[in-house]
Amino acid sequence: MGINELDLKQDPACSEKGLSNYLWRDHPDENKWADCVHCGMCLESCPTYEQTGQEQHSPRGRVHLIKSVAEGKLEVNEFFSDPVFACLDCRACTTACPANVDVGGLIEEARGQIRQAMPLKGWQGAVSKFVLKGIFPHPNRLNAAGSLLKFYQKSGMQKAVRQTGLIKIMPDHLVQMEAVMPEVQEPVRKKYKNEQVLKAKGKSKAEVALLTGCVMDVMFSDINEATINVLRRNGNDVIIPQNQTCCGALHVHAGDRETGRMLAKQNIEAFRDADKVIVNAAGCGCMLKEYSELFREEPEMHDKAVEFSKKVEDISKYLHETGYEKPKGEIKTRITYHDACHLAHGQNVRQEPRDILQDIPGVEMVHMPNSDRCCGSAGIYNITNPEMADAVLESKMQNVPGDVEMISMGNPGCMLQMAMGVQKYGRNQKIVHTVQLLDWAYQKEDGKERV
Amino acid sequence: MAFKKVKSSDRHINQLARIVGGSSSILYRKEDLLAYDCDGFTIHKALPKAVVFPKNTIEVSEVVRYCHEHNLPFLARGAGTGLSGGAIPLNEEVIISMVRMKRLLSVDLENRRAVVEPGFVNLKLTNSISDRGYYYAPDPSSQYCCTIGGNVAENAGGAHCLKYGVTTNHILGLEVVMPNGEVIEIGKNGIPDEPGYDLLGLITGSEGTLGIVTKITVRILKNPEAKQTVLAYFNHVSDGSQAVSDIVSAGIVPAALEMMDKVAIEGVEAAAYPVGHPKDIEAVLLIEVDGISAGIDEQIRQILDVCRNRNVKEVKVARDEAERGRWWANRKTGFGAMGAISPDYLVQDGVIPRSKLPEVLSRINQISNESGLRIANIFHAGDGNLHPLVLFDARKPGETQKALEAGSACLKVCADVGGTITGEHGVGIEKKEEMRFVFSDEEIKAQTDIREVFNPKNLLNAGKLFPAPGRCAEVKKEIKAAASS
Repeated sequence: MGINELDLKQDPACSEKGLSNYLWRDHPDENKWADCVHCGMCLESCPTYEQTGQEQHSPRGRVHLIKSVAEGKLEVNEFFSDPVFACLDCRACTTACPANVDVGGLIEEARGQIRQAMPLKGWQGAVSKFVLKGIFPHPNRLNAAGSLLKFYQKSGMQKAVRQTGLIKIMPDHLVQMEAVMPEVQEPVRKKYKNEQVLKAKGKSKAEVALLTGCVMDVMFSDINEATINVLRRNGNDVIIPQNQTCCGALHVHAGDRETGRMLAKQNIEAFRDADKVIVNAAGCGCMLKEYSELFREEPEMHDKAVEFSKKVEDISKYLHETGYEKPKGEIKTRITYHDACHLAHGQNVRQEPRDILQDIPGVEMVHMPNSDRCCGSAGIYNITNPEMADAVLESKMQNVPGDVEMISMGNPGCMLQMAMGVQKYGRNQKIVHTVQLLDWAYQKEDGKERV
Repeated sequence: MAFKKVKSSDRHINQLARIVGGSSSILYRKEDLLAYDCDGFTIHKALPKAVVFPKNTIEVSEVVRYCHEHNLPFLARGAGTGLSGGAIPLNEEVIISMVRMKRLLSVDLENRRAVVEPGFVNLKLTNSISDRGYYYAPDPSSQYCCTIGGNVAENAGGAHCLKYGVTTNHILGLEVVMPNGEVIEIGKNGIPDEPGYDLLGLITGSEGTLGIVTKITVRILKNPEAKQTVLAYFNHVSDGSQAVSDIVSAGIVPAALEMMDKVAIEGVEAAAYPVGHPKDIEAVLLIEVDGISAGIDEQIRQILDVCRNRNVKEVKVARDEAERGRWWANRKTGFGAMGAISPDYLVQDGVIPRSKLPEVLSRINQISNESGLRIANIFHAGDGNLHPLVLFDARKPGETQKALEAGSACLKVCADVGGTITGEHGVGIEKKEEMRFVFSDEEIKAQTDIREVFNPKNLLNAGKLFPAPGRCAEVKKEIKAAASS
């Protein structure tokens, strides 16, 4: 067979059938896969390809499948769903890709189609509906869940569950997670409900709004507290809009784009008057910056979302850009830094947190090889795909230097996952958020001991 | 992973699954096979029968023996980054994926060699030994992800092959599973230049048609003491290519000597690793010299002089390793970067005498005008290895065919000026017919005769590398007819 008769009877590289097997609105964006030339530069960046060696579990393989559905070669069924939902959505491929193919965006769009074509049934459906729709979007219910957890931790029930062996009937990964749950404190949104503005210490140079996040404020309100302290100390008035809600990242990752849109609209409205929206959770920050992706078919909302995205900034980048006081309090520790995927790959924030850490007297930074490799947390991936998440975590932990005392990062999901890793592999590092450490150094400078 | 039996209606699938260890090591449903319907050459697509993932040589050998006994076509695949279609299953092959055999087996610094499994990624070798001051020289642009097994199959080159040679110059020993399942070792002790025929040379670059490599002993090199990199912009391609000739004539052997033309520059600047090349220039040269520290500065001075004599618009030396890294990332992601300015591309791989560059580029430009397709040129200028990238949109009817024809025409030009049709990407499916530009039917027959010695049933990667024998048979008939008359 000569090159001139090359078998073009087979479907050509891209057919003209349009988006044949995508039946719902908001389908995957043809222009996103048109950028992919199948070169394979993404392969080694992908944690699931590293684990399986199978190309349907690689970025270019997934893009190929997503395109194949549009070409009518593949249907939206379980064989399509498996590779698409096995993706960690870590975006490492976006960094590796020479042509900037937005694989993460395609994956999320494809998940939207899958969830409409084949809604989750049975207990998975019920749990997903209960948690994603019934709890996350409602701050009061989330606080209530937090209170329950607090009750569980404080009342002796946690101890009882652990001692009675009741814990043995929980699935392994939930047991591991239970063990590293931080102690629940009062959410800052509730705490500062009656304060319109938290005034800057000293002269104020700017006013910023804080996204308190849903899980963040319930499980890690101390990090929100630290974020507020650090912002105020550096001349920022902080406001906490009360009508803000969950960012919607977990919903969009799970294919529930409709709820994602609803939450996005509410947040865009809630932060309407803010000049800057400060985020201390990488996953949330990335989602906020990508709200416009949810409104590709609603031009007016799309424009609003684009404008909104420009106001969003990660705390470390904001501090780095607007300047911060170098702390004088010394924290003598050896520390390594883990790049949260949605900071490094999602928002290209890499150097800023490291610079902040290095400005703390006494901190000795130790390099972590492959620091921007996913830890396996990936939103709720460690709950939905525990086996793969474990394998990815194991590979991550092998890269954590043995002789450090702390691992710093900028995302709550990673913090829980890395804490599980530390426990599971018999390590003894403390997991901290970058701004937490900065706040401690300030406190120490002021004579308040902690750590 | 736990062993899980496969129950398919196809008994071959069940047997193959049994050999490689159950359901986690085989793919056979159509949906799962789709990701394997092409490699880096996307114009031709075909589904395999199955994909198996062996863990060791024994499993590879057993799979091959099974296929041999049951007349199932098969082929080996690495990372699937090949650009000529060598890993595309034309005959519904069983694909033997080598990616789970990815260990670095040993490093012997004293004798400067390392042993790797075929699925080991090229760049990982350098990364594993760089802290001890060593590296693996062949550096194809896909080195971030391509496997050394694939490099052996294609005899891969790379930017630094000008000074250090291509893959074949770095292979000291191979373990090969023959097409009947037998396992042989060539160059057992990693001693180069064994007596007898150069079988290492024959297997290296045989594009997966003679056997499946399962273990590779490679040469590793000491890091050069010093390294300097220069970037030079030219208003005219002719000045740039004259500068290339002048540098070589001056007796300098650069480690790398790369060129990109205007369209290529547009692509890399629109993509993920822009470095701020000016948009209005016709050519950029990336020149690297390395070696012992003494004399490097002198070489750089000479190179700067040459560039200035050839009307360079701007020339600069990399200030530090970070800047050097950015320049190389910009160049090495050049092919993939085309995605940023075109939905599809087809890359060609001609080799020409350096002196013919201005002529060849102007003829390629003509081809581009005639076909109505843009063509970018990325060029290992030092060794005359030209990569015209034909940009097209497969969604437009007829454009794929046009791109293929334009690509073929580029190779014809290369062959006509005394060059050849591939420098490092292999022939694969893509350039089979173009083999006729450089070989007579008899010469092709001589080579397929060699293949027959190793691969008599032609079950292993059939339909690659050489054009179909149709015309050879006709020629034979003609010869016979002529002889009998």
